[in-house]
Amino acid sequence: MNHTPLEDQVHDALHRRVDPLQHAPLTVADVRGRARRIQRRRAVAAGAAVAAVLAIAVPFGLATTGPAQRTEVPPVTQPPAPTIASGTVLVDPSSAETLAETPVPLLDVDAPSLITPVGTTDLPGPFSVLTPYLDGWVGIQMDEGTGTLRFLDADGPAEDGASPTGGLVASPDGTRVAWSTYTGSEWEVVVADPSGSTEPVRTTFPPAPQEHRVEPVGFVAGDEVVVRTFDDSVETKTYVVRGGRPVEVTALLQAESASAATGLVAGLSRLTADGACSGAVNGAGTPVWETCEHSIGAFSPSGAYVVGTDPEADGYGSPTVSVLDGSTGEEIVTFEAVLPRRTVGGFWSQVAWEGDDALIVRLFRGEEYDMMRLGLDGTVRRIDIDSAGASGLTVAQPW
Amino acid sequence: MGTTLEAMGTTHDRHSDKDADFSAYMAARQVALYRTAYLLAGDHAGAEDLLQNAFAKLYLSWDKVRDREALDGYVRRIMVNEHSSLWRRAWRRREHSSDTLPDSGVVDAYDDGMGGVLWSFVQTLPPRQRSVVVLRYYEQLSEAEIADVIGISVGTVKSQASRALAGLRARAPQSLNPHQSGDDVR
Repeated sequence: MNHTPLEDQVHDALHRRVDPLQHAPLTVADVRGRARRIQRRRAVAAGAAVAAVLAIAVPFGLATTGPAQRTEVPPVTQPPAPTIASGTVLVDPSSAETLAETPVPLLDVDAPSLITPVGTTDLPGPFSVLTPYLDGWVGIQMDEGTGTLRFLDADGPAEDGASPTGGLVASPDGTRVAWSTYTGSEWEVVVADPSGSTEPVRTTFPPAPQEHRVEPVGFVAGDEVVVRTFDDSVETKTYVVRGGRPVEVTALLQAESASAATGLVAGLSRLTADGACSGAVNGAGTPVWETCEHSIGAFSPSGAYVVGTDPEADGYGSPTVSVLDGSTGEEIVTFEAVLPRRTVGGFWSQVAWEGDDALIVRLFRGEEYDMMRLGLDGTVRRIDIDSAGASGLTVAQPW
Repeated sequence: MGTTLEAMGTTHDRHSDKDADFSAYMAARQVALYRTAYLLAGDHAGAEDLLQNAFAKLYLSWDKVRDREALDGYVRRIMVNEHSSLWRRAWRRREHSSDTLPDSGVVDAYDDGMGGVLWSFVQTLPPRQRSVVVLRYYEQLSEAEIADVIGISVGTVKSQASRALAGLRARAPQSLNPHQSGDDVR
């Protein structure tokens, strides 16, 4: 390698730091113990379907080869592969098993508070989105129907001022967050490092009234964010911003989500006589796939899956929420809300991925709602956490 | 019955062989891989946890890893991915990385002071940039090898390395300023 002086110094610094280390703290027994815990965790994650298969396979294995094959660590030549459900899974909160803790951060609108797996934090006002930033959080505070960007530190609001915003998104690995603000004469998109290690990258749009909103849609690569813009026409435009001049991405009528893992942008692709179709395009605007069966939501962190909802969804939400193949748009599994007779309801479109394993969604049934965990293995769980008021809970990080 | 005993003996031998092979690998490579784990984690507790997890996953997959030459790469890949995951979990708990060293690590008797400064800056890098720096400048892997380990494109490796160096350069003392040291800005 042809290194610069800085690279050489980094090389030397790293070697000097660890070359004297002669640590070998682990024994094979330590490793076996950790391996057993990992196997147990994998088995739980694989869900009931795998458990059922193992319940058949293990006795069969014992019968054919004898109990002496049982060892401290089970054979690993065929580890349990993650099981993905197919078809339709009914979601009935009244009969679902419950989770005492939330797997993803939730917002209690009426408290108001942030509920995470490690505790509850009071908030200075109601927020619709909130994500960690520096020593605290950045979020969108709900203010009579409009959103304002607010920064919070550990003790409360970090500053008095609040800016009009078109939205807030974070990258799946949590290393970047992006928001838009209106400066008084123009819209600006900021991509920032939540750890504060690097300077934020700012992209400014031409001067325009505040009504010409710029809304972040999602990260399409490390520091690159997809945004959609509105003006006085009915059409929206899609851009990729990375500092400098925004680059327009054509071929979508309205972008709805993006995947930093695959570089795809998804959204409304065309209107038909019967309704609307959605699809995904690559960074060059080339269509990759299209579906007229679903509206498109968030990609999973790996980009392997993408949320699909009913194109006919109304104000109560979608009666179904589907998991589609992120690379083809093919439907993998559909979760259908079980609603009592003469009761309206559905899934809210604001959902959060729990890794690539599950969706956390809010389900309305008449006047009631429940936060549900929908596992891709077909498991359905109700998150059993009470809210302070009638507004209920919602996911804090809808991506 | 004789067949069953024979099968039992074969199975027992296979597991004994596996444990012996794995134990030999651990004995030979633990010190070196611990160093990589330490550079990724930044402290001994984190390094031990990273390495134990990686060894455990390797143990579970031992029979599937046919290329014994690739074992180190397999362990590195697990540690790098786990490092990002651990960082994310810590981040969600609002435990941010900082310039303050959580663990003194090693006393560097022959350092002129710059090594410690750079190391403290490396510890503040975002996890992916830090992984790229460790793999590139400690393990001395090629960009293609790093891309394979982390599961990103070669272009992303280049951009992450460039950003990491730019960050280090911006925060490091003036002696690393390219205008003073002859360092090219790339």
